[in-house]
Amino acid sequence: MRISVEQRLRRPRWLTVAVPFGSVVFAFLVAAVVLVATGHDPVSTYHQLFDAAFLEKQSIDQTLIVATPLAFMGLAAAAAFRMKLYNIGAEGQMYLGAITGAAAGLYLGGRGGPSAFVIAAMVVAGAAGGAGWALIPGVLRAFFRTNEILTSLLLNYVAGLILTYLIFESESYWRQTKGFNATVFPTGKPLPHSAVWPGWTLHVQGGTTIPLGAFFALLAAAVLWLLYKRTRFGFEAQVLGDSQRAARYAGVRMRRKILAVMAVSGAIAGLGGASQVGDFSHALDGDPNGLQKIGYGYTGIVVAALGRYNPFAAVLIAFLLGGLENAGNTLQGPSFPAGLVGVIQGIILFSALGGEILSRHRVRITRKSTHVTAAPARAPEPAA
Amino acid sequence: MREITKRFPGVVANDGVDFEAAGGEVHALLGENGAGKTTLSHILTGLYHADEGQIFLSGEPVAFQSPRDAIDAGVCMVHQHFRLVERFTVAENLVLGDRRGAGRRFRIDPRAVESQVRELGRRYHLPVDPHARIWQLSVGEQQRVEILNALYQDARVLILDEPTAVLTPEESETLFTTLREIAAEGRTVIFISHKLHEVKAVSDRVTVLRAGKVIATVRTTDATPQSLASLMIGHDVEATQRTARDLGGEGAVLEVRDVWADGDRGAPAVKGISLAVRAGEIVAVAGVAGNGQRELAETIAGVRPSTKGAIRVDGRLLKRGDVRAAFDAGIRYVPEDRLGTGVSPSLSLAMNLELRSYRESSLGPFLRLRRMRANAEKAIEEFDIRAPGPDVQAANLSGGNLQKVVIAREFSGEMKVLIAASPTRGLDVSAVATVHSYLLQAAGRGTAVLLLSEDLDEILALNDRIVVMYEGELSEVVDRESIEEIGLRMAGETPGSSDSA
Amino acid sequence: MNDSLLVVLIASGVAYGTPLLFAALGELLAERSGVLNLGVEGMMLVGAVMGFWTVERVHANTGLTLALAIVIAAVAGTVMATIHAFLVITLRANQIVSGLALTIFAGAVGLSSYLGNNLKLADVPAAHSFHTLLPKGMQNLPVVGPILFGQNILVYASWLCVIAVGLYLSRTRPGLNVRAVGESPAAADTMGINVTAYRYAHTLAGGAFAGIAGATITLAITPQWVDGITYGAGWIAIALVIFAFWRPELCLVGAYFFGALQALAPQLQARNISLGPTVLWSNSLPYVMTVLVLVVVSSGTARRRLGAPAALGVAYVREEH
Repeated sequence: MRISVEQRLRRPRWLTVAVPFGSVVFAFLVAAVVLVATGHDPVSTYHQLFDAAFLEKQSIDQTLIVATPLAFMGLAAAAAFRMKLYNIGAEGQMYLGAITGAAAGLYLGGRGGPSAFVIAAMVVAGAAGGAGWALIPGVLRAFFRTNEILTSLLLNYVAGLILTYLIFESESYWRQTKGFNATVFPTGKPLPHSAVWPGWTLHVQGGTTIPLGAFFALLAAAVLWLLYKRTRFGFEAQVLGDSQRAARYAGVRMRRKILAVMAVSGAIAGLGGASQVGDFSHALDGDPNGLQKIGYGYTGIVVAALGRYNPFAAVLIAFLLGGLENAGNTLQGPSFPAGLVGVIQGIILFSALGGEILSRHRVRITRKSTHVTAAPARAPEPAA
Repeated sequence: MREITKRFPGVVANDGVDFEAAGGEVHALLGENGAGKTTLSHILTGLYHADEGQIFLSGEPVAFQSPRDAIDAGVCMVHQHFRLVERFTVAENLVLGDRRGAGRRFRIDPRAVESQVRELGRRYHLPVDPHARIWQLSVGEQQRVEILNALYQDARVLILDEPTAVLTPEESETLFTTLREIAAEGRTVIFISHKLHEVKAVSDRVTVLRAGKVIATVRTTDATPQSLASLMIGHDVEATQRTARDLGGEGAVLEVRDVWADGDRGAPAVKGISLAVRAGEIVAVAGVAGNGQRELAETIAGVRPSTKGAIRVDGRLLKRGDVRAAFDAGIRYVPEDRLGTGVSPSLSLAMNLELRSYRESSLGPFLRLRRMRANAEKAIEEFDIRAPGPDVQAANLSGGNLQKVVIAREFSGEMKVLIAASPTRGLDVSAVATVHSYLLQAAGRGTAVLLLSEDLDEILALNDRIVVMYEGELSEVVDRESIEEIGLRMAGETPGSSDSA
Repeated sequence: MNDSLLVVLIASGVAYGTPLLFAALGELLAERSGVLNLGVEGMMLVGAVMGFWTVERVHANTGLTLALAIVIAAVAGTVMATIHAFLVITLRANQIVSGLALTIFAGAVGLSSYLGNNLKLADVPAAHSFHTLLPKGMQNLPVVGPILFGQNILVYASWLCVIAVGLYLSRTRPGLNVRAVGESPAAADTMGINVTAYRYAHTLAGGAFAGIAGATITLAITPQWVDGITYGAGWIAIALVIFAFWRPELCLVGAYFFGALQALAPQLQARNISLGPTVLWSNSLPYVMTVLVLVVVSSGTARRRLGAPAALGVAYVREEH
């Protein structure tokens, strides 16, 4: 008996959805095994997870707090990965966006309610900060042919150090210097009221607020989609991601394209950073155990990959994975294993990767001795 | 080989093929591109598994699970695209495949291999420097390494796949001598080709394949080129012939003056080339692969920036390395790398048709998707492209259809200069004829055509003038009918001089 | 003299650089076979936590326990690498995304954290750890004392590994074969080399080395376990391989260089040397230097001749088309 893998001629539509979905199911099954092996009850654990993510009071609120930055990170990753530009630096670009966004808020903000002008300024500043940070690996790639994976990633660590420095190790503009607590435990200066981003409150679950950033994320998704599907920019980006030689031949200006895509990706990440400050923390969070510990940027890659780099799928998946993370954070304690969330996310991504091959290829089991080939039996997508 | 059948999605490559070859003979496997010769040889060497059928060596049935088994059984192949590790030396490459005798030890000593390489090289007229790294060698020398590899393994059956594609006529002659010597030792040589005169020159017997089936096996002495041709193709085909045209004193449309360009490794690949092509003229550039033809084509098309010199179209100077400017000036380029360069593989047919002109056809920053589709449908009609629809991925099209897509795209707009690099490589006879007819059409409409090809037959059939490229430089052929002169120039020699390179 | 900044820096550089060296050697082997494994950080973390766990749970004499810990760490790394290998070699998934997935899965908010917290390994000093090996007399020799003789056994083992890997690649048949697999898998396949087997073997070996690298941190350098204790060392190791032009001996030089950079910050602080925002500069120095080195290395034309295995990152399938 022989198993042969043949390439499909067309990619069936239904698999495009089935693969990510199946991956999630598979991941939960495998994680259940891990849980059992370490002495936890998977059913109750998952039950708790789901409750904490979506069902309990205020849970969607909490989920959105995680899902919003995650959506930005996912979009940032999707924007670049689609073109085979592996921008792993969304994390650092978010920090820079938070820094510049907070600066705009602190400088321009005043009393009174949320001001459209200030918020717009924060948006622009945040996007610019993220784009600028992303242009460092972009320039290195475009002009010096340096691999962007490592450079963007290493800059994440540098960005984190800058963030910590601004709050903990210096008397910077961002740092709260007044008040009693200031010298005891360093915190960021709170944003003035006009720089606080409003939300939209629904009467669900005892009052759920959808943050402004969430709307921005949706908007960014739409813009990204339009950009890639309908514009020359997107066309060129697609060709460049597909075949560099064809792109040269088509007259695509390679360097400019690389810089542009990195800038777009970084801008989205930076916008996510501004949203962090404007929507949630209302001050610059430089605590190494705060924003930097969560790893939104890396999870964003999972989000993007699961959504196969489609912007709208990324937002949806961000919401779902946000629920997962939120639940993980809420439940963390002796009865709920820390790190489980990362484990599940990793397995989801593994299965999505493995499932990819099924949409591109068909597995055929044939008997070698006889001349009859079995009907194209496909190995079932690894849901048990 | 008996009743060999091999199927791929969408095509039956080998259909009940019976093939046998004896020790001590040179047996040619003849067929046009796509007839199934390479597939058959890959089955014989263990690279593919046959769906049906059996293989016998010296009467014993054998089953090859992998190339390793085939090599161990003494079946070795010299491929069309060499299977050598570029960064290794010749000696290291030979050690790589070796499992018998001295090389079997855990620790290796390439120096012991070197003396053997020299010895073998001497014996079979295949001299090669064992210390040289593969990327430093010329294509002909690389082929010698492949053959040496097989002899080093003491191959009983040696298969060569289109070996003369990369050789000058003179080198081909030497190769034939070598092959006959190898066969005379009792080994079996299988020679795969689609060129009739070669098959006549070197083989003892010929098996003709067409569309996956064996048509006939004959003794070479009993066959004539015409009989072989009709067996191979199944009907009479008019070879494209260029009728002589009087181009009068028209000025050059494309003028290339002292152009230099660097290759991928940084060394100059195009060295001071000057060339002029008039409207309606076909200038054919002959030469063995790797002498700078690709780089020259890319430089004129603007894909590769020139380092020195000037390129002019209708007198206007073009900016270096500016693809868009070249395209706008009327230069059209059909690259030899169809799938990787000429077309963006995972994009749709419709999008590929716009690959060069999307800037003009778009509305501001936005693409006109509906118009693109409509144009694509028209092009599919007009150029008879066999495809399920405009949304099919380019990678799923056959070679011939892909080339039609490229041609459909390049022939749009005002085409003043057409650069066609190896346009018919790997295509079957009818596709070749179609492409040739397009080239002639273009010339007929007044386009200046620059045809770069490694296929001498194509060059001879389609030219108004012939130039030969060798090591980045051009020389003009005086007597266009003289294969001898062309061959000499391809090897870097000027006819009439008595010294050799 | 042995207390001078320079000597201490170099000696610390050797110590700190050892995990980098192990991880880089492992990644070098994987990449030589054509497989890019970005999951080094994750594999190191898992090796770190499992090595530490062994030391805490096994009650035997120090030598045996530590040896067992190293073995377990190597096994842990190998298991992680197997996931990546399967996805990338057999299923031909995208090597970059798969490596990142491994880092997420095994990394600081993933499996290593799960295991560490679940097994209650935090805030506990190591029950056993590696100490310097040679007698104090030798360690006090001027200059070479601290640098060469004042190291623990893992450091000496890493030197042996560098030699072994170097000899393996340049002088043995399997080494030649793996180089062929990484340069041109089609050629290797035709010559009868089992491309899949070689890629698996070397990717798994890479995992083993990464695991050992992680254990080096928790058992020798800071004998303690903390979530995410590698702080990006895995990424530097990957960059190291590029910096070293895929040659083991240069990995050693590079590892110690970056190790010294890591040692710079605490040393400056201890000596009250202040260069402005010292903490920021010296802490980010390893990362910034890595970037700079990468740029220099990538932009030269020397890259083409001395550079990456040609088939790195590309899945190989014997073409049946």
